[in-house]
Amino acid sequence: MQGIYVHIPFCKRKCRYCDFVSFPENGREDFYFVALISEMRKYAPLMKDRVFDTVFIGGGTPTCLKPGRIKALVNELENCFSIRENAEITCEANPESATCEKLKELKEAGVTRLSIGLQSADEGVLKAIGRIHTKEDFLSAVEAAKSLGFTNVNADVMHGLPLQDTESYLETLRLVTGLGLTHISSYALILEEGTPLYEDVNAGRVALPDPDETADMEDAGIAFLAEAGYRRYEISNFAKPGFECLHNLNYWDNGEYLGLGLNSHSALRLKGDWTRFNNTEVYAEYVNELGEGKLPVRNTQRIERDEEMFETIMLGLRKTEGVSRKAFLERFGVDPAEQYAPAIAELELDGMIEVTEERLFLNRRGMDFQNEALLKFMDQ
Amino acid sequence: MAFPREQIRNFCIIAHIDHGKSTLADRLMELTDTVSARDMEEQLLDSMDIERERGITIKSTAVRMFYTAKDGRNYMLNLIDTPGHVDFTYEVSRALAACEGAVLVVDATQGIEAQTLANVYLALDNDLEIIPVINKIDLVSADPENAIHEIEDIIGLPAEDAPRISAKTGLNVEEVLERIVKDVPAPKGDPEKPLKALIFDSIYDNYKGALSYVRVMDGTVKPGDRIRFMHSGNEFDVTEVGVFNPAWQPVKELTAGEVGYISASIKSVAETKVGDTITLANNPAKEPLHGYKHANPMVFCGIYPADGADYEALKEALDKLILNDASISYEPETSQALGYGFRCGFLGLLHMEIAEERLEREFDLDLVTTAPSVIYRVIMLDGSIRLIDNPSNLPSPMEIQRMEEPMVSAHIMTPPEYVGSIMELCQEKRGVFLDMTYLEESRVKLSYTMPLNEIIFDFFDGLKSRSRGYASFDYELGDYMESDLVKLDFLLNGDMCDALSTIVHRDKAYAKGRAVAEKLQEVIPRQQFEIPIQAAIGGKIIARETVRAVRKDVLAKCYGGDITRKKKLLEKQKEGKKRMRQVGTVSVPSDAFMTVLRIN
Repeated sequence: MQGIYVHIPFCKRKCRYCDFVSFPENGREDFYFVALISEMRKYAPLMKDRVFDTVFIGGGTPTCLKPGRIKALVNELENCFSIRENAEITCEANPESATCEKLKELKEAGVTRLSIGLQSADEGVLKAIGRIHTKEDFLSAVEAAKSLGFTNVNADVMHGLPLQDTESYLETLRLVTGLGLTHISSYALILEEGTPLYEDVNAGRVALPDPDETADMEDAGIAFLAEAGYRRYEISNFAKPGFECLHNLNYWDNGEYLGLGLNSHSALRLKGDWTRFNNTEVYAEYVNELGEGKLPVRNTQRIERDEEMFETIMLGLRKTEGVSRKAFLERFGVDPAEQYAPAIAELELDGMIEVTEERLFLNRRGMDFQNEALLKFMDQ
Repeated sequence: MAFPREQIRNFCIIAHIDHGKSTLADRLMELTDTVSARDMEEQLLDSMDIERERGITIKSTAVRMFYTAKDGRNYMLNLIDTPGHVDFTYEVSRALAACEGAVLVVDATQGIEAQTLANVYLALDNDLEIIPVINKIDLVSADPENAIHEIEDIIGLPAEDAPRISAKTGLNVEEVLERIVKDVPAPKGDPEKPLKALIFDSIYDNYKGALSYVRVMDGTVKPGDRIRFMHSGNEFDVTEVGVFNPAWQPVKELTAGEVGYISASIKSVAETKVGDTITLANNPAKEPLHGYKHANPMVFCGIYPADGADYEALKEALDKLILNDASISYEPETSQALGYGFRCGFLGLLHMEIAEERLEREFDLDLVTTAPSVIYRVIMLDGSIRLIDNPSNLPSPMEIQRMEEPMVSAHIMTPPEYVGSIMELCQEKRGVFLDMTYLEESRVKLSYTMPLNEIIFDFFDGLKSRSRGYASFDYELGDYMESDLVKLDFLLNGDMCDALSTIVHRDKAYAKGRAVAEKLQEVIPRQQFEIPIQAAIGGKIIARETVRAVRKDVLAKCYGGDITRKKKLLEKQKEGKKRMRQVGTVSVPSDAFMTVLRIN
């Protein structure tokens, strides 16, 4: 599988916990688009032998773009790259800007999957983390999506947030499952250095649930979603059967992807070498370098085979299915169960990993202590 | 041609930390053109980084200056710098013994401190002529009259005509030079008598080997002489003699009354012990100079590399460190918790801290240090005596008849308003009150007998915080005294952690056990299982805390396609793990062993 990621860095306002590259538009959108389009055109000849299976337009907030922009963007993608028929094309949306008009544009553009950032249905929690939408905004967005015929809709929710308790979190899950959404991503808050929330917490102005409470929320959520018919297929992702996100699955399979836009990341096999690189995260550099006809690429690394194997394990074990032994064998010429026999033996003793004919995967305990498990693979 | 002995003056400077000793030394050198000001670092005599940062002198050193006095004659002034801390009292006494006079610097804003007083008494014991100098008179808060009264009242020295100077600005510093010339007696001694040279310091140099810094009392020494160290009996051939300019400057000979260094291709400063007497092998003096003592380590601790792989590096660093400081002792030891390391002995707590800092800084090592211990005398049931400096080696209570611990006489000087809380502190530290005297209206001297093991923890810090930094402190070693001591152990998930064991007085064991257990509960990270932390005396548990099990250790999101970020986080976690020590099933961060040392 191969995917394309497009980053839209604009947000009306940055959420207090967010450390992604995003900022208010402030008249920059047109320039950004000129740059983005020249980036696509520069990549087009380099990617001419590839057929892409997924597209993911993320942000930032893609739905806060000017009318017609997303349609133009998808058009240009289709002009520049060959994208498989019936490809999964996801676009992120925030409730306040996912208006009926905007979603109509997405539909017409060919977007097949919507991912709506709800985070919480609790107004107090939303306010505490600096979201600018309400629960009502979310409800209208979902209604609009349904009426326009979107059948594959995700909601992003979070736990471990300020003012949140297990009941509040479950209430959010009840809402999204009740609406019949097909996919739920539920992330535990990561308090990132440098964010306003981090400062607030450090200064004692905001209290977060303690790690045990957050773990309680997570466990309660996993149980609730299983009951509601959503399968946990990755640490933080749950889907009705057949609605798993293909674009993200490709990441976790350590597949190839091309990143476009500010601070986007790419992983591609180039002339036989497994290669990672990313674009600059500085807006002016991105726009100027593309203006000069250069790709604003940074940190190009050729990944050694051992490292590529470890990455495949590290990412693959995020999935409940784990790593396919056959796929690994095909890619590296070695069975992962043999390659990592000592680490696996230790983890089996620890009751974290299971190995079958087809795959090796972390069980529930292994999922909870995934970092520990990965360190074993890393150290071996 | 020897310099006329009657025109030599050998002197030192006595001052409390921060009272301006090094600054005054710098000014004296400037005035005598010993070094040009622009070549001079701020405080020239303190050459080690740590000395400069702490503003104190650890190793003594010396400098030779020439000064043409108002009487028109040219004088050779040998300034011998002395260490300024209680741990180094013996070194100070030997440096003083090399002089005929001492300049007593008193800070006009602060008056006399306990440490200064102790050194003044040492100087008086050595029959030194003392020249009081009032420093820092340029400061607004200066009260020179009060400082003069203190000198007169407390020490009993006339000080009315003491030079009032500012070492910082140079004001009246010349007056100090005149007083040295006028008041300090010229050295006595006979160049024709058999050689007697007092070692007041020794320094290791990578090229010359161990150098003896000496004051020649009698006789003459020159390159080619075969010398004998009278206490060790070792003999060497002199390759070079020289003076301090302040850099080493070879001369033809050193003769009675002079100060300089002797180089004889000696491999380690352990051979050139401070206080020893150097004489000539073929014409030896009958008796060595009196006052020699072997400096015994008083405070012991385990020093381990934070990363077990650095054991060899630590060994090499210690080998190099003792080339320059023979008063440190060390021998290999193993700890279940910390692996391979060394049991190291030091003259005192400051000496220990300085050595640790030098190991970490000069040798770029990450260390784990166990709680310091003194030497306990354990009288066994069969009457035999064991000396224990490591709690882990304490025999079982069943075999012990009684235990004794070293005591000190502590002298504290403080403004009267802090007496109450300082007495409370001394009582907490098991001090036995001896005496309280009003030295004058604004200054009280308290004397206590205290166990050394109470002083080596946080006594200094306590004293400083209770007196807002105004109290000063000095101690001398006393006798061993019987004491009801117990070994306090800590168990992590049921496994004893030898690196945390300490010997404490029974009355304090409960409080200490609780405090350390609480601290451990804070510093030990949560692990996959619940960890009981227990404090125990013998088999009896006296305190318990619990580190709850961690529930999750997983990164919720993978940051889109940014794989490197995830990998970096894992690398960081891996590094953190390397700095953990395994105590049974429990991973304990290296820092934990240090943090529990600082318990109030």
